Amino acid sequence: MTAAWAVTKVQFRILKSDPWFLVIMFLMPLAIMPLFLKTMGLALNSSGYAEANGAEQVVPGQAVVFGFFVAGSMGFSVFREHGWHTWNRLRASAAGPKALLLGFAAPWILIHIGYQALLIVVGSLFTDLNLGVGDAVDLLVLAGYSFAVIMIVMFAVSTLSSVHQVSAVVNLGAMVLGGLGGALVPLDQLPSWAQSVAPFTPTYWAMEGHNAIFLDEAGFSGVMRPVLTLLAIGVVFGALAINRFRSDDVKNFFA
Amino acid sequence: MVLHASGLTKSYGDVQALSGAELEVEEGSIVALLGKNGAGKTTLLSIISGLLRPDSGSVRVGGIDALANADAAAKLIGIAPQDTGIYPTLSVQQNLEFFGELAGMKKQFRITRVQEVAEQLGLTDLLARRASNLSGGEKRRLHTGCALVHAPRLLLLDEPTVGADVTTRAQLIDSVKGLAAQGAAVVYTTHYMPEVIELGADIAIIDDGVLLARGSRADLVASHSVHGLRFATSAPMTPAALDAIGAEADTDGYRVDGEISVGELVAKLGKDAALITSIESLQPSLETVFLKITGSSLDEEDAAPEPDPNNERVST
Repeated sequence: MTAAWAVTKVQFRILKSDPWFLVIMFLMPLAIMPLFLKTMGLALNSSGYAEANGAEQVVPGQAVVFGFFVAGSMGFSVFREHGWHTWNRLRASAAGPKALLLGFAAPWILIHIGYQALLIVVGSLFTDLNLGVGDAVDLLVLAGYSFAVIMIVMFAVSTLSSVHQVSAVVNLGAMVLGGLGGALVPLDQLPSWAQSVAPFTPTYWAMEGHNAIFLDEAGFSGVMRPVLTLLAIGVVFGALAINRFRSDDVKNFFA
Repeated sequence: MVLHASGLTKSYGDVQALSGAELEVEEGSIVALLGKNGAGKTTLLSIISGLLRPDSGSVRVGGIDALANADAAAKLIGIAPQDTGIYPTLSVQQNLEFFGELAGMKKQFRITRVQEVAEQLGLTDLLARRASNLSGGEKRRLHTGCALVHAPRLLLLDEPTVGADVTTRAQLIDSVKGLAAQGAAVVYTTHYMPEVIELGADIAIIDDGVLLARGSRADLVASHSVHGLRFATSAPMTPAALDAIGAEADTDGYRVDGEISVGELVAKLGKDAALITSIESLQPSLETVFLKITGSSLDEEDAAPEPDPNNERVST
């Protein structure tokens, strides 16, 4: 645990020394939210939410899509160690492979939760999304989604051999899974085949949780199923990642 | 005995990197592992440090079976691999502290050790500087410092001075000697004969994955060195000509051991002497020990510093 904690802390230090990726990934969705507000408002109205102004879809939806991009940073941080030639130093330390995985995953789960939460709070100011104290239960959805996508990226890291492959998976995850899961447009606006596939995506369950809070005002009971499903997805991919991870696999940070 | 490695074998596909390598290192001693590129030096160090699993053999570090109990052994080992491995966006101090913490050092001890290591390696004034802003030599010192910070009992340095400037080289050698004086066992791989002499190290010569000889410089020179001549030719010599002078073929030409002058050589070869393109006199030295034991010399290509992509100062 000592080694995992040391790796965790150094990830925060590295991020602090170069936070610009995260800053840009924060500003970009904020710029996009107002562009789709009116359209999403009409879409939600046609879905039966007469009072909705679109923020209920746009704000959490962008957090889900861009959250996938940000989750990719966990993968890049592992590959970066190979590029910096520090990976072998970590391997030669007393930290075993599981401690290393924990040391990389834990900070990014926390960063990911914080990123989404801040995006939703600041996004609400731009879009008139009404946030109340009761909406704090959304943190459970954020935590579940963060855990799920970081474990998916961890599985990608354990399987893939180059940073470009990880990048492709993350981009695919963000756009395709984001679209299929109803993060880009409300689910009932998608073709029926996409609606059938959607429950197999983590983005769908994240949006189910957000919709339960921001559209249905269902509170804690409304988010339990999505959160548990997200946690289950995370556990499955985490187990696959641990099973597949070999610390001596060759990873290419540079093309 | 801090390190006891025996019977180590390792192959990569058809390539046999180690073939029963043995290495023992006592507390307070420096062993310079001398060998050409591909001789098995890095593979041996990688196995000792737990980065590679051997196909067979055993490694004990501080009495711990390092293959069965890698985590416990890792706490006793400090390794500076061949490639410079530091965090460029962190400061020198943060780099050193991280590797201390990774080894499980308590904060108070860590802070003291960081200061000590920085002083040893001439990094004290650079502690607050971002590692990406260090010169190539400073990065190399930091890279080595990261291996020293937890005061390991066994220090493995893989070509620590590759690409380093003269000052850095001198500081690193002084540090290594200092660490050994404090009781650490050091294994130091290198191509550079002068460094081996400067370190006052015991020498282990490795070739084709086997440790062929081990001893002090004086002992090795006394028991293995050769007098004689070495020459290259523009065309292969006939067996009869070789017999006439008692020459043996080696990787770069032919070698005649014993007291023989150039004049005698030319006279004995007769018209075949016209084939000679270069002649070199062999005197008792570490170079000739290496030549005699491995059948080849550490040629210039091997001895030349490898280019270090981190060697340029990014900014100051």
